[in-house]
Amino acid sequence: MSHIEIDEQRCKACYLCIDECPKKLIKVGEKVNKLGAKPVEFCDPKGECLGCAMCATRCPDMAITKVFRG
Amino acid sequence: MATQVFKVPDSIIKDMTYGFCPGCDHGVAIRLVAECLDELGLKENAITATSIGCSVCLYDYLDVDSVEAPHGRALAEATGIKRARPDKFVFTYQGDGDFASIGLGESTHAALRGENITAICINNTTYGMTGGQLGPTTLLGQVTTTSPTGRNVEYYGYPIRIAEHIALCEGTAYSARVSLDSVANIRKAKQAIKKAFEYQLKGLGFSFVEILSTCPTNWHMTPQKAHDRVRDDMMKVFVPGVYKDVLQKV
Ligand SMILES: Cc1ncc(C[n+]2csc(CCOP(=O)(O)OP(=O)(O)O)c2C)c(N)n1
Ligand code: SF4
Ligand code: SF4
Ligand code: SF4
Repeated sequence: MSHIEIDEQRCKACYLCIDECPKKLIKVGEKVNKLGAKPVEFCDPKGECLGCAMCATRCPDMAITKVFRG
Repeated sequence: MATQVFKVPDSIIKDMTYGFCPGCDHGVAIRLVAECLDELGLKENAITATSIGCSVCLYDYLDVDSVEAPHGRALAEATGIKRARPDKFVFTYQGDGDFASIGLGESTHAALRGENITAICINNTTYGMTGGQLGPTTLLGQVTTTSPTGRNVEYYGYPIRIAEHIALCEGTAYSARVSLDSVANIRKAKQAIKKAFEYQLKGLGFSFVEILSTCPTNWHMTPQKAHDRVRDDMMKVFVPGVYKDVLQKV
């Protein structure tokens, strides 16, 4: 199943990925990381992720570390 | 079985975090450089001359040999490295202030000499590292800390179109301008960087890519709005395209 992996310690909370995801599967989380930012979380209960890597391509900080398709 | 379609490039130092502000597209540009180094198998053979500016710590991000250059002198240093070791893959990564203001002489003459090296220049229309002063690419009307009422021609002159300028130099093999405002354009930007690297591998001469990037901090904009500015204001003056390509006769 298509999915992404997020390294929450790398996320700087710019939230560019949230706008980029065509399926709106990325949301602001509740935790605070070591950078003092609120990292994003991947929420895909219905298995809608396309594995398009739009989010990871846009992320300036490589916080979306892996994208799988298929 | 799902196949992996994205990973952190091998040419990026493991588990590092960039020192850039949130949403700064320097991070995307360096990742694209790393992806091209990976795909062309250049990591072990590359040397970079690092510049002064927000990307000053490039050696903490890219897992390649690097030498820090004084402000603006990266291409002079890269010239020396390449002439001493023509077997090495040599490139610079510079801000627009570094490349086209204090370093314009070094940059222009490296292109005029047709040095077989590659330069990547980040155009964010300001001096990011020092707090957002007017730079050589600051747009007309743009407010900066040193042009508080906006850039006007009478006092500050016109911004430089770097990719066009480098294209006019006889020794240039490839000169292109790309933008990081959208995912589609990020993908095109990577192709241009790869082509510039390949031209050096083919020994064709000086290869250059100007990358339209953002500085959300000094533009006082959200990262999202900063991309709108790249599209609405910057790309109209700094039009993306290939300005010289010796193999395509452009
Ligand atoms: C000889 C010298 N003059 C001035 C400076 C101060 N200085 C450091 S970075 C910089 C400008 C950087 O701007 P740019 O090259 O556009 O890169 P950015 O930070 O925007 O990525 C300046 C003027 C310096 N370090 N050395
Ligand atoms: S784009 Fe990257 S750094 Fe920005 S919020 Fe998303 S995961 Fe975090
Ligand atoms: S891979 Fe595509 S669909 Fe999946 S989370 Fe990223 S942007 Fe959304
Ligand atoms: S000051 Fe501007 S160019 Fe420098 S890291 Fe911050 S956003 Fe990026």
